[in-house]
Amino acid sequence: MAEPAPERIVLVGYGPVGARFVEELLPVVRAGLATLTVVGAEAADAYNRVLIADYAVGQAGREALEVTDTAAALAAGVSIRTGTSVTAISRTRRTVTLGTGAELPWDRLVLATGARANVPTLDGVTRLRRTLMAPPADAATLDSAGAALPRGVVALRDLDDAHTVLGAVSTGGRIVVLGAGVLGMELALAAAKGGAEVCVVYHGEIPMNRNLDRGGGTVLARAARAAGVSMVNHSRAESVLFHVDDDGAARFDALICADGKQIGGDLLVLSCGTGARTELAHLAGLPVSTGILVDESLRSWADPAIHAIGDCAHVAVPPAPGASLARPAGGPAGLIGPGWRQADRLAADFTARLTGQAPGTASDNTPAELGAGARPGGRAGQAAAVVMLKAEGVDVVAAGDTAPDPWDSEPSHTGGCAAAPVSVSQWADPEHGRYVKMVTRDGILTGFVCVGMPRTAAELILLFERGSELPADRSVLLRFDGPDDVPGAGGDAFAPDATVCWCNRVSVGAIKDAAAAGNSTVACIGAATRAGTGCGGCKTRIGEVLTRFAVPATS
Amino acid sequence: MTTKTATHCPYCALQCAMTLTGDAGSVTVAGRAFPTNRGGLCKKGWTSAELLSSPERILEPMLRQPDGSFAPATWDEALDLVAARLADGRAGHGADSVGVFGGGGLTNEKAYQLGKFARLALGTSRIDYNGRFCMSSAAAAGNRAFGLDRGLPFPVEDLDAASTILILGSNVAQTMPPFIGHLEGARAAGGLIVVDPRRTATARLTENGAGSHVQPTPGTDLVLLLGLINIVIAENLIDLDFIDRRTVGFDELRRSVGQWWPERVQAQTGVPARQLRDLARRLAAGGGTYILTGRGVEQHVDGTDTATAAINLSLILGLVGTSHSGYGTLTGQGNGQGGREHGQKCDQLPGYRKITDPAARAHVAGVWGVHPDSIPGAGIPAVELLASMGEHGGIRTLLVHGANVVVSAPNAERVRAGLAALDFLVVCDFFFSETAVLADVVLPVTQWAEEDGTMTSLEGRVIRRRTAVAAPAGVRSELWIFRELARRLRAPSTFRTDPAEVFDELCRASAGGPADYSGLSYGLLDAGEAAYWPYPAGSTGTPRLFQERFWHADGRARIHLVRAGATDAPAQAGGILTLITGRLLEHYQSGAQTRRVPELAQARPEARLQLHPATAAQLGVADGGWVDVTNSRGVVRCRAEVTGDIRHDTVFLPFHFPGEQSANRLTADTTDPVSGMPEFKRTTVRVRALADEERGTRG
Repeated sequence: MAEPAPERIVLVGYGPVGARFVEELLPVVRAGLATLTVVGAEAADAYNRVLIADYAVGQAGREALEVTDTAAALAAGVSIRTGTSVTAISRTRRTVTLGTGAELPWDRLVLATGARANVPTLDGVTRLRRTLMAPPADAATLDSAGAALPRGVVALRDLDDAHTVLGAVSTGGRIVVLGAGVLGMELALAAAKGGAEVCVVYHGEIPMNRNLDRGGGTVLARAARAAGVSMVNHSRAESVLFHVDDDGAARFDALICADGKQIGGDLLVLSCGTGARTELAHLAGLPVSTGILVDESLRSWADPAIHAIGDCAHVAVPPAPGASLARPAGGPAGLIGPGWRQADRLAADFTARLTGQAPGTASDNTPAELGAGARPGGRAGQAAAVVMLKAEGVDVVAAGDTAPDPWDSEPSHTGGCAAAPVSVSQWADPEHGRYVKMVTRDGILTGFVCVGMPRTAAELILLFERGSELPADRSVLLRFDGPDDVPGAGGDAFAPDATVCWCNRVSVGAIKDAAAAGNSTVACIGAATRAGTGCGGCKTRIGEVLTRFAVPATS
Repeated sequence: MTTKTATHCPYCALQCAMTLTGDAGSVTVAGRAFPTNRGGLCKKGWTSAELLSSPERILEPMLRQPDGSFAPATWDEALDLVAARLADGRAGHGADSVGVFGGGGLTNEKAYQLGKFARLALGTSRIDYNGRFCMSSAAAAGNRAFGLDRGLPFPVEDLDAASTILILGSNVAQTMPPFIGHLEGARAAGGLIVVDPRRTATARLTENGAGSHVQPTPGTDLVLLLGLINIVIAENLIDLDFIDRRTVGFDELRRSVGQWWPERVQAQTGVPARQLRDLARRLAAGGGTYILTGRGVEQHVDGTDTATAAINLSLILGLVGTSHSGYGTLTGQGNGQGGREHGQKCDQLPGYRKITDPAARAHVAGVWGVHPDSIPGAGIPAVELLASMGEHGGIRTLLVHGANVVVSAPNAERVRAGLAALDFLVVCDFFFSETAVLADVVLPVTQWAEEDGTMTSLEGRVIRRRTAVAAPAGVRSELWIFRELARRLRAPSTFRTDPAEVFDELCRASAGGPADYSGLSYGLLDAGEAAYWPYPAGSTGTPRLFQERFWHADGRARIHLVRAGATDAPAQAGGILTLITGRLLEHYQSGAQTRRVPELAQARPEARLQLHPATAAQLGVADGGWVDVTNSRGVVRCRAEVTGDIRHDTVFLPFHFPGEQSANRLTADTTDPVSGMPEFKRTTVRVRALADEERGTRG
């Protein structure tokens, strides 16, 4: 029997998620079980978009953005075409059409096309409707075809955008950030730290309003102001004013808000969220909602040979025949962690299928061996992702549903509702920039906000991601960030059971007793109790204990 | 008449120098000036002589009787029986049905002779030792990166001048207390950083401005280190000149850690991004920086990769092979270093040679006076060897030397069942350890103060152990036992019994190997030479390794890429928690010795499960109350110690105790694919408070 021909896999998109998929698939490519062709619109190799704000303010070098070893992939036989766009997918012929007009055949197609920055409706800035528009053949204008942003206006998404921002930061310019989502806030804080004058304009009451509750958002806004960022809330941006420079080009001058405010600057950075790049899938007739609809195995609802991962994918259970066709819940997380997990999962599935082996079996250390049930909600897969603000000195973490309030009335248990009620614990100390809200059901976090308390935040993330039970006394978690989080250290160093000599575990009490028996010097105490006869580091302390107990206690 | 003998402590790898004063059969201990311990001793060292006259000492060979009891026998009876059973086993089931299990507490001479005895007298490849549970991961990582594994590639006193010392997973304040004197400089500079899920005595040394304690959730050390590497690269804190001149593999490393930015590391480890950044910057601040790893980060299924990540961090900071900074691993057992160099490891011949290397085989065969083909090939590592007991084609006869596997091996109940399934078990020990009581023959052997030999300490220094008192009449040295058995088995080569002669042979066998001792002799050591290996003939030894070059052919260190696997920590609810195991100040290893020292046993008579007050409250556990700790492998029943010194998601058990308090009833025998190290420090358990009526026999 002839060897089966290797499976032809085509990956569209060479961002960090696509690159991860390539890395994970290299063994089967090396083994000759599959060929892999990667088509990426950007000219550069995959880079870590998560750090683009750091790069844009000069905090990270270009090298720090590298996430993958393209040379290793090429050496393994992967074909990588950067600077190339895909303009169409043919599901019947199993091909993709490239911007060059060439066609690539595939047996499996993986879409990792990512997301583009949303451009808000602003007078002065052209906005495109893309739903029915084919991607341009020229990869360089993938997102801007026919509607380049005006000079001085940028949506921080790729390396070119970053270079524009870097120019403004390095000259100490004034930057207006429109939008106070996590990316907008990261950029604003980093740019302020980098020496720019920064103003964030947003129309809600609080920054990061998709992730934070009012308390957390308010404390964040204060922290940002303290870090030198102007925070302008309740402001709906309406239009953009331009001035004409000496070179005759019109440049951004000011942002005008609905209430007439005019906010001037050298650069306007649009940070108004992202939208999945779904046009290719849409034109190919694949179901699309806020992203390309795929099932939990990351297969398109309509075509099991087509997959989507990362920011372009919307993972949802396909409706049963005849079920409601309402818009499915959820959507792309817009975060790298879930994207990488999807890339790992899909590559593992491909590998298992191609090698004929079962995917990795569960580890020994599962609760199943203890007779406990599976983890509720299967969090590892696609649970609400944890959002962490990457900003030095401003610690903000949130996840899940943070809206419930401690004083919400208890839900009624009538009508067969079996779910336990949600409980909320809260700590607010705005004066010191600290705020925590823990939303739990049966003692397990369903959401939380944590601002200004890094240790607590780190613990809450672990508890949330693992689905672990919180201590009944929630204040235990708050104390991680207290100055007194040194059990015993604040206690009495001369208490009878306080250890003086670690090498020989000799307590204050034992030294006191030896002193009472007539041992009056450190050497005598050493001979009597062995205190100080190890590393010798406690000899001073022994002297202090002797001094203290040489005179009669005043009590 | 009193005699004074200069020797070293019987316990840990710090090998504190001590003077033994013998007077009419009684022995007293005093600390002796030496660079590692500076005259100090810990509680274990001070009380070490009590075991010499312990009433529990075995004083003649013991044979198991048909009724299960032991009865004394003469040495001839015992050795004839052992030799006959060894020969029968080999004849009936092949040489590889006979196994040998050694220990990291044996002198270099015994470890060397044990390896030779197994290969030549027994003809078996099935030899390994308890160092597999101890140093194997760090050793594998060191060999991979540097081409050579010496725990500390610099003298311990070098640490004194450092302003920053990062200790990852080692509780030196309890395991080798006099060592902490060498941390004083870093503490004074505010630069002692201790990574441990517990606020151990060592972590407490960072208090009051002496440094910082980093408290990650168990099993996330690799991610933590990848995160530090990420920060060091991102903030350009690396030593590019060092990287260019002395390493290969940096570009691949840089790309591979791009994904571990601080906030992502925080999410997996529970360590705040801010603390990670501060730590990375401190490591790069200059003024002498050392990175030290211990069992806490190495005793994992990814232990080799974790130690490798620590090495990678050290390399890119330019710390290794300098006179002021470095990377090291803190060896545990007394001769954990020498024990891994001279042939009791399954894949190894003396001098840290590979048993698969034809040149190494030819050299050693030449020293032994045998044909190279008569030396068996590579065997299997400890966990696998123990697991093969009672299995088809596995071990049917076992010799145990200097180990108490029923307490110290993972999945201990399976080990116990395996021992029970053997045709024949021989244990050499001073006491009826938990393993010895299962033996068919127990052979009583000399203790440290009754024998001469050499040990190689944690800093790779070869030191002398000296006889201070005569051994009891019925007790023999293993060297004598090996000779007697070899003679009865008509083994080739010569099995000498004089330690000095065995050492000379060892030195010749090691010549040209990585751990070259060929320039050493008892005469030289007795003259006070500070002898650090490699010490080839004609040299003066090597206090500081890697100053000029690493041991790979091109002289460069390898930055070996490591990746963190998926973490699959279960939801911690309903009493499900992560168990870590470790040590107490008062006890050493399986406790076979220290539990028999009244002062130590009194201070720590039993295992206690450490858990956080919040966790205890949730589970209804009171301080001192009884708990059951269970998983699919076993049950531990002990009292609880409620303490804020541990993470709320973690519980701790010392592994020194036997029976229903044996922590290793719970640990899994899954191992690191590179080193064969078991997973000792990340075990999922369920903790339950016991009601009064459930306390059973121990009430």
